[in-house]
Amino acid sequence: MKSRCLNATRATTPAVAREQGNHSCPARRIETGIVGRPDRAIADRRGGIGNPFSYVGESGESEAELRRGLSHQTDMLDEHPLITRLGDPQEIIVQTACELKAEIIVLCKNSNSHPQPNLGRTATAVLRESPCPLILVPPERGLTSWYLHHILVPHDGTPTTSAALKPAVDLADRAGAELLVAHITDSISASKEPGTLTSPRYVDQPQYEWAAWGSEFANRLACICPLGHVHLRVFLGHGDPAAEILRLSERHSSDMIVLAWRGEWEVPRAAILKEVLRRAHCPVFVLRTGETGGE
Amino acid sequence: MLDIAVSSLAPTADPAWLLVEQGFTLVREHELESQFAVANGYVGSRGSLAEGCPLSAPATFVAGVFDAEPGSIPHLVQIWDWSHLSVSICGQPLRLDVGRSLEHRRILDMRQAMLWRHWRHEDDAGRITRFKSLRLASLADRHLLVQSVEITPENYSGTAILDAFLTGSATHITHEGVSVAVAVADRIVGPDEFVIGSTEFLEGRRPFEIEKGSTYRLERVAAVYTSRETTAPDEIARSHAESAISRVTDVIAEHRQAWQARWHASDVQVEGNSRAQRALRFAAYHLLSSANPQDERVAIGARGLSGPGYKGHVFWDTEIFMLPFFLLTWQEAARAMLMYRYHTLPAARANAAYQGYGGALYAWESAASGEDMTPPFAVTLEGEVIRILTGEQEHHISADIAYAVWHYWEASGDERFLLDAGAEILIETARFWASRVRLEDDNRYHIRRVIGPDEYHESVDDNAYTNGMAQWNLDAAAELAEQCAMKWPEQWQSITRRLAVSCEEIQCWRQIARDLYTGFDERTGLFEQFQGYFDLEEIDLSKYANRTAPMDVLLGRERIAKSQVIKQPDVVMLVYLLWDRLPAEVRKNNFEYYESRCGHGSSLSPAIHALVAARLGKMAMAERYFRQSAEIDLANNMGNSATGVQAALGGLWQAAVLGFASLHFQQGDPSVRPNLPEN
Repeated sequence: MKSRCLNATRATTPAVAREQGNHSCPARRIETGIVGRPDRAIADRRGGIGNPFSYVGESGESEAELRRGLSHQTDMLDEHPLITRLGDPQEIIVQTACELKAEIIVLCKNSNSHPQPNLGRTATAVLRESPCPLILVPPERGLTSWYLHHILVPHDGTPTTSAALKPAVDLADRAGAELLVAHITDSISASKEPGTLTSPRYVDQPQYEWAAWGSEFANRLACICPLGHVHLRVFLGHGDPAAEILRLSERHSSDMIVLAWRGEWEVPRAAILKEVLRRAHCPVFVLRTGETGGE
Repeated sequence: MLDIAVSSLAPTADPAWLLVEQGFTLVREHELESQFAVANGYVGSRGSLAEGCPLSAPATFVAGVFDAEPGSIPHLVQIWDWSHLSVSICGQPLRLDVGRSLEHRRILDMRQAMLWRHWRHEDDAGRITRFKSLRLASLADRHLLVQSVEITPENYSGTAILDAFLTGSATHITHEGVSVAVAVADRIVGPDEFVIGSTEFLEGRRPFEIEKGSTYRLERVAAVYTSRETTAPDEIARSHAESAISRVTDVIAEHRQAWQARWHASDVQVEGNSRAQRALRFAAYHLLSSANPQDERVAIGARGLSGPGYKGHVFWDTEIFMLPFFLLTWQEAARAMLMYRYHTLPAARANAAYQGYGGALYAWESAASGEDMTPPFAVTLEGEVIRILTGEQEHHISADIAYAVWHYWEASGDERFLLDAGAEILIETARFWASRVRLEDDNRYHIRRVIGPDEYHESVDDNAYTNGMAQWNLDAAAELAEQCAMKWPEQWQSITRRLAVSCEEIQCWRQIARDLYTGFDERTGLFEQFQGYFDLEEIDLSKYANRTAPMDVLLGRERIAKSQVIKQPDVVMLVYLLWDRLPAEVRKNNFEYYESRCGHGSSLSPAIHALVAARLGKMAMAERYFRQSAEIDLANNMGNSATGVQAALGGLWQAAVLGFASLHFQQGDPSVRPNLPEN
């Protein structure tokens, strides 16, 4: 046994997945918790920017042994520090992230050897305790390469959510990805937060109104969370938010979904997050917001 | 009394005249710029922060001056940003995102038509600066915009730099060769009211000393002229600005006097409901700000002069939603707006001919020339390209304009207008309908493939509103002929000769009006909104009561077209406009039937429902719709007003005056039968 949870996965640093040798973010430390059999844990070479990878297991294994075990999958680790820690994965991952002041944890959402739709125990625990945003990767992606072309960002229209999106915008900026910002309207009352922009209730002249509303939504987001060179498109969805997020993700072939989350996990909270995590075919980037926004 | 020194001016004390924004919420800036716009019907300027912020979209528009790249759709021209001002204190920029604001308040003073700003700012070194500004678009001299900015260093002495973006003058020339010149003159007045320079003299960058506790004021005027008024707009603008800067106190006093007169004629006072009071004044303020009785070449676009929305185009909103306000409060402005339609008759005739009809078909979206400017396509947020058919099919606009002409004449008794312009509009629009109808096997005239006010249903046959208004238009033209022949036989003869109107043609209008299919069912007392409407899917809108999106978004375009859900009052609009022609029972039946099927996807919808509900005595419903209508621009959560305030403001005013107060005219005499809510 290498570890208790052993959720073998391809763990990568998608923030830089499209640019080889991206040195534009030397200050970024992305802690990648690789929990699983070393031979299944890989990282894309182009993710290599000196971010540390952590191997977490119950039994000791030297770094050289781990590197050997991973080498037939990828040589990416040659360019990265590899941190090995022993113990309970959920504790160690959170602890390591705190020590490294990690900005993002990338983690498999559950075990590939025991496929299940729900978030695995380790991933759930890390999500709840994490000091930083998480990227949760579905194990069924296996070892296929993936690049960030389109990042889907559901947005409730609140300034708080806009502020929380900075890591996602940074990610898109570095990857040259397009942000697909989706406002999902349903029968739930809009947030009372000042400056919240909901869907238009009136559309007198659709030939002007939709473009104007989309532009207003984008402008409000951009003035709180500067977009740099990131290209952005705004969509309006309606109906069940989780189903709509997944529909839009599929329709626009998004490579990642970004979800803002208030940090409350117990039922009935986080229903959208849980459902998206359960059914999304792409990685889900979970960002914690302040008091309002998100779910 | 009105001649107060600039330094002594203050906002109106009564809060019912004020729209106040405390603090600063960056993301709301666009809608506040629209709400706080100052305008005078000739020029309008958004209420942007002088120093700007990351979301600022300052813009100043000149009514009726459009521009477009060849092949694209014309939009209102935005002229140079005359009001921009960067202030530096001891090398530190005075901005909302630098240092901290101890107090920040913007006030739209509707009574004086001034935008005020009060700000106390503390920089990182603890220097506290008091900033007070006002801005206005002169109603007394429509070519002038005025700004005054006072700076008081509260706890320090140091240096200040006032950097104006625009000094001197600048000219914009449209692709059609219209020149728009804006010239700026300013002066900086020191503590003893001595002029210490100007931004131009100080090159906008030279620091000057400011002393603790003393107030320094920048007075700035911008003069705007176009080549439509003068052959030398730049020269005239410069000399006008230079002359005005030396008499700013007078300019402001004249402006206040002009607004005092306007409010005297227009103000509606509401007792016991300060929100309704403020909303009504907000509506009247923007309507009054948008009109110019001295210019017959322009009408009011659906967003007035408060923003770039709808590219500044003029829709049916102008005649049906805004004009009634002017009919009752400012007939000179109403006349000018209708003269715009008279001057654009050639384009309306050409539009009718282009579509294969006679007479005049007014453009659904009209700009300077009156040609139809409706974009043929739109791209949805999902990237779907959809056809826009309103320009081709929303023909009721011709009858709406005729209706406005008739009611202006009724209200004003302006014979000259009628004989010089109004009659021609009525005749040409009647001719359009006479050519638009088809006599079919049932011996009834039908109007096929149109869009009524309910734009969820396109290409429908015999839309009740369109047919009802066409019938009214034909009858009105025949009635006009009778009255003119009787009262002004010579002038009428001249008109009939010039327009080749024959007695047979007038007879034909009467006959078509009589035999035009209306969709009215004697048995139920209902108008069918269009042929086949009653067979469409019924959808219980109460299940969507908490929706935050329009029904066509929730149901999709295809399903909504196959349902009875309507976008805005259609039959109910007809009931309102033809109120006195319909029996009380018919009014009530149709309102009750269609109200429950209305999704209110248009901002114009709630106000008309409020009005009709009030007239029918359904006061709780009327109040709810009134509140909904008042919130369209003021509720701050839909972004609807980011590109300008809505024409629905005119509907709100009508709901109050023609609904709740139920102002009626009988043989020209006004009578009021109030239906007021209990609260």
